[in-house]
Amino acid sequence: MTPQLKLTVSGSPHLKDKAKTSYIMRDVIIGLLPAVGAAIYFFGILAAILILNCVVTALLTEWIINRIRKQKNTIYDFSAAVTGILVALILPPSIAWYGATIGVVFAILVGKHLFGGLGSNIFNPALLGRAFLAAAYPRMLTTYTKPGQFDTITEATPLMLQKFSHKLTSLDKLFLGNVSGSLGETSAICLLVGGLYLLLRKSAGWRIPVSLLISLTLVATAGYLINPILGTPVFHLLAGGLLLGTFFMATDPATTPVTAKGRFIFGATCGILIMVIRYFSNLPEGVMYSILFCNALVPLINRYTKPKAFGRKERE
Amino acid sequence: MMLKAAEYKDPQHNLKTEKFLSAEKLYLPLSQHTGKPSKVCVQENQIVQKNQIIAESNGFISASLHAPIKAKVSKIKKHFHPKFGKTKTIVLSAQPEHKPDGHPNQTAGLDQFRKDQLLTAIAKAGIVGMGGAGFPAQVKLNPPKGIDTLIINGCECEPYLASDCRLMIENLKGIFKGIEIISKLVAPEKIIFAVEENKKEAIKKINFFLHRKKNNSKIELRVLKSRYPQGGEKQLIYSLTKRKISGKMLPFDLGCIVNNVATCFAVYEAVYFNQPLTRRIVTFCGDALVEPKNLWVNIGTTLAELIEKEIIKFKKNPKKIIFGGPMMGDAVTNLANPILKTTSGVLFLEKLPKKEEESACIRCGRCVNYCPINLIPLEYAKMVKKEKYQELKDYYIKDCIECGCCSYVCPAQIPILDYIKLGKEKIK
Repeated sequence: MTPQLKLTVSGSPHLKDKAKTSYIMRDVIIGLLPAVGAAIYFFGILAAILILNCVVTALLTEWIINRIRKQKNTIYDFSAAVTGILVALILPPSIAWYGATIGVVFAILVGKHLFGGLGSNIFNPALLGRAFLAAAYPRMLTTYTKPGQFDTITEATPLMLQKFSHKLTSLDKLFLGNVSGSLGETSAICLLVGGLYLLLRKSAGWRIPVSLLISLTLVATAGYLINPILGTPVFHLLAGGLLLGTFFMATDPATTPVTAKGRFIFGATCGILIMVIRYFSNLPEGVMYSILFCNALVPLINRYTKPKAFGRKERE
Repeated sequence: MMLKAAEYKDPQHNLKTEKFLSAEKLYLPLSQHTGKPSKVCVQENQIVQKNQIIAESNGFISASLHAPIKAKVSKIKKHFHPKFGKTKTIVLSAQPEHKPDGHPNQTAGLDQFRKDQLLTAIAKAGIVGMGGAGFPAQVKLNPPKGIDTLIINGCECEPYLASDCRLMIENLKGIFKGIEIISKLVAPEKIIFAVEENKKEAIKKINFFLHRKKNNSKIELRVLKSRYPQGGEKQLIYSLTKRKISGKMLPFDLGCIVNNVATCFAVYEAVYFNQPLTRRIVTFCGDALVEPKNLWVNIGTTLAELIEKEIIKFKKNPKKIIFGGPMMGDAVTNLANPILKTTSGVLFLEKLPKKEEESACIRCGRCVNYCPINLIPLEYAKMVKKEKYQELKDYYIKDCIECGCCSYVCPAQIPILDYIKLGKEKIK
């Protein structure tokens, strides 16, 4: 007797690996946990509240937009949560709660959904949110607090000190994170641990961080040799938002090139731009604008790095 | 970067091949090869002898078809085909035969054949590439340009399948005789026998064979890492020689020719025994079966008959049946589908991967990373969704070998290959 079968018919392949968008985003969140921990350790309860505020706002904004756009609920891909945490980590600890909220709403609404949602956005949403705040409320983003202080005692960030007073912060302080700065950028060791986790899990490509760090080191070395007052390469690697940006924002898949070559170009360009801004502009820090600028270059990079199909000689 | 997918080769690799050559009904589609379908040369109700030709090669790129057994042509009608839906098929009903089953007498030695006689013998036997593409062997083995490297493909990189592996273990001598014939035809400078490292027993046998024969054999055994889709012609040539066969080239353009081990064996049988290609080893496996099996079966045997005769038994009712491997194989709608010359395995799957809903592409680039042809698969999916079919050509969609790696790795669960196939169809 041949049994009556109900067979599924679908196109090949009939196997699938375990990769899922939500796993990638979950890895990013896990990778950010050391930095979150450091933020709370150094800046106390303020940091915890700020992060919570941003994450809740992000999820709520995402949910409301899903409703308005009549889409499926995309909260569970965790990308909104990632954006929320990232916005929190790149804001000064003392920022007013509504400032952070506005930044997050802008990041999710304009940075992501106005461009068409996850994957269609041109700019990294978190950085766009911060850029918006920097333009709209500049004072909020230039007042930094000293770590470990519950009263707001302002202190210049290491990059400000270097740029405007030619004072170099000691490297061990930078490494551990006991300096002023944005919430999540101060502790180099925590960011390195989280970043390595991301790379080892292959949830972020290695090409962009590696090329970015190499190009930045090269420029910073040249700068240091010309004029030591500009800071050592190691100082530039550890200070400011560099590591946070390198591992968690320059690797954002949606806003970076898809080809291997394109990613090297993206990373290298970004590294050079960061140093150009740090050296020559009026701003102490250049990670945000560099990444945003390179985001805008992505379509161009993609077009010119379109790989030749296997065995083909010329492009057309 | 090539994929290191789960292999699922146990225990099929170690299962001795059994035989089932007594199917009562055989369904032989006229299209079992690349090229024009064969032309029927028998009539309904006619009695045909074992190995008699029942459909002729119809054009330069085509192949002939033979009756695997003594039988009556009961019908010539449209019937299920694993790849093409329904196609014209010759239906044979077995007739009692008194001659014992077995090889016909051996014909003359290789030295007595001229090149053209060999080619005729191969063409007459209806041999096609048995790795899956089904390219007629007499065309492939008569390349218009000089060949310097003959590659024997024993990679079998698709998960689950073990038919080539078993053939290498059990019929190695025949394969080597086949290689000898092919080598006489294409006169290569070098012969590379490529096997993936997961086929330990086969490798041992090949090594033993090559070392025992103290002749200065040109055959070089190359053991490759087990990767998918390394058994694909282009990838294999690249892995072995670093030559890149583009979408508009054929392997002989760069002096290479690739033959599957099963094809070599079929060539051997055709030349030495006048045996046309009427049977092959097929791996039957999957979690819906009581036990997996490697079986010699006649071409045209239906799954229904194998089940009815309890040659293969269901543990649970399968939810998906796939002709070929799980990466490139075709899911079929019913058990009436017959084994083809190119069917190296049939999978019966009960537990299917959970169907995840397709979500937005996050441009992670994994498909780009794993595409063996250096294409940008994510762009195809996007273009097809937006119906921008003309742009597909700029991205060399025709070069796609449909290996399925892009769909396999996509974290957004986008069936990229489905979009690619649709796109290819639209710009035809």
